[in-house]
Amino acid sequence: MRVNVDTAACIGAGQCALVAPDVFDQDDDGIVMLLNAAPSEPEHAATRRAAALCPARVIVVDESE
Amino acid sequence: MTTTPTGCPVHPRVLPTDGTPLEPSPVLGEWREEGPATPLHYTDGHDGWIVTRHELARRVLEDPRFSQQPQRIPGETIPGGPELPYLDDEALASKRVANLLFLDGEAHSRVRRILMARFSVRAGRSQQPAIAAIVARQVAHLLTVGSPADLMAEFAAPISAAVHRLILGIPDARADEFARLFLSEAPVQDRVLFARAVIEQKRTDLDEDVLSDLIRSDLSAGEIDWVALVLMISGRDAAAYMMATSLLALLRHPDQLAALRDDPDLMGGAVEEFMRYGTMFVALFARTATEDVELGDTRFAAGESVSVSAVAANRDPQRFENPDEFDITRDAFGHLGFGHGIHGCLGQQIARIEIREAVGQLLAALPAVKLVSAEQLNPLPFAHPVATYSAGSVIVEWS
Repeated sequence: MRVNVDTAACIGAGQCALVAPDVFDQDDDGIVMLLNAAPSEPEHAATRRAAALCPARVIVVDESE
Repeated sequence: MTTTPTGCPVHPRVLPTDGTPLEPSPVLGEWREEGPATPLHYTDGHDGWIVTRHELARRVLEDPRFSQQPQRIPGETIPGGPELPYLDDEALASKRVANLLFLDGEAHSRVRRILMARFSVRAGRSQQPAIAAIVARQVAHLLTVGSPADLMAEFAAPISAAVHRLILGIPDARADEFARLFLSEAPVQDRVLFARAVIEQKRTDLDEDVLSDLIRSDLSAGEIDWVALVLMISGRDAAAYMMATSLLALLRHPDQLAALRDDPDLMGGAVEEFMRYGTMFVALFARTATEDVELGDTRFAAGESVSVSAVAANRDPQRFENPDEFDITRDAFGHLGFGHGIHGCLGQQIARIEIREAVGQLLAALPAVKLVSAEQLNPLPFAHPVATYSAGSVIVEWS
């Protein structure tokens, strides 16, 4: 799994940091920060959930890798 | 006008007013059964749509082809448009450029980006002890008032006002003035003057808060005043509503209350269920399609207004199993209780902490708390001017 975030479009709602705190955080400006671009298996479900919940759809999960 | 296959016009419906926060109007459910969007006659006289199914609701709120302009407020009670309240020229000018609820795209994100820092999950965590202290003070106040007491007036509303002042950075010395102007009806111009005075005072006394961030930003003086005003108005009543309504939902469902008392670790998920089950917004601010938009089988024509019913979407059985059941152990994430899309609630991480602290501390302090009565168990007028359910008083007793 590969994760990409579009920081320019992030609106700082914090859903990702709330539901997948091992993969996402927010920087001092509140913008999404990717802690792990290649989360391991146990993190996959939370990562998918964060992507689905993101109100600005800035998280893209590539499952092919 | 929508037509049926036989050519008969379908008369647009009006927003049902017979619902309550815990038992939304059955009419919304009927509309949701019929289709993802229903023609709606807005109370300002024009016809548009209301979206009731969760899937379409999300897609509309995420879609940049819908604009926040013109400002259309479903539930606005004055036909033919409201008489605008008095504002001085400076305020009128800043209102045009800085009401972030009604901005699109870059104009919106320019303002939102300045504010985001104080509303992140991390910022919320750092404010948690201060929020817990505000709640603890209010629990002590409630115990002094004694049984019976109104959870709205003596607990939820004062907490939301104090947390609002904390995050924004409104000086303590102005607490009474803030309460007088923002917790009850007051002329908008008086609120504008208050916002200006607070900003003026803080210019020489910058701190770690939202208003200080606004002053440090590249916004113009007029923009700063108006954004400050919008922030002072927004979310404070919603947080109070959610605290009161969440406690009411628990008191009405003793099994859920007992489960939460037994296992406080359920609180995180319970807050999401409070937001889903007790949703305040019958209809969000209407969006306007800037071009013809096709989403699934639904087609919105350019210029049509489209409002999302967060209440209806959060009770959509295609998204939430047994949606009318209050179940604090369910996975309620994905609800639209904080809205969704780029205008999704800015303060939602603070609100989550506030609700968690208020519910948790109240239950701990009052092990034998019981419901006496709650105004919101009967339909109340929408909280003006937006189509939202009202919380009303929630009277409890304890021994």
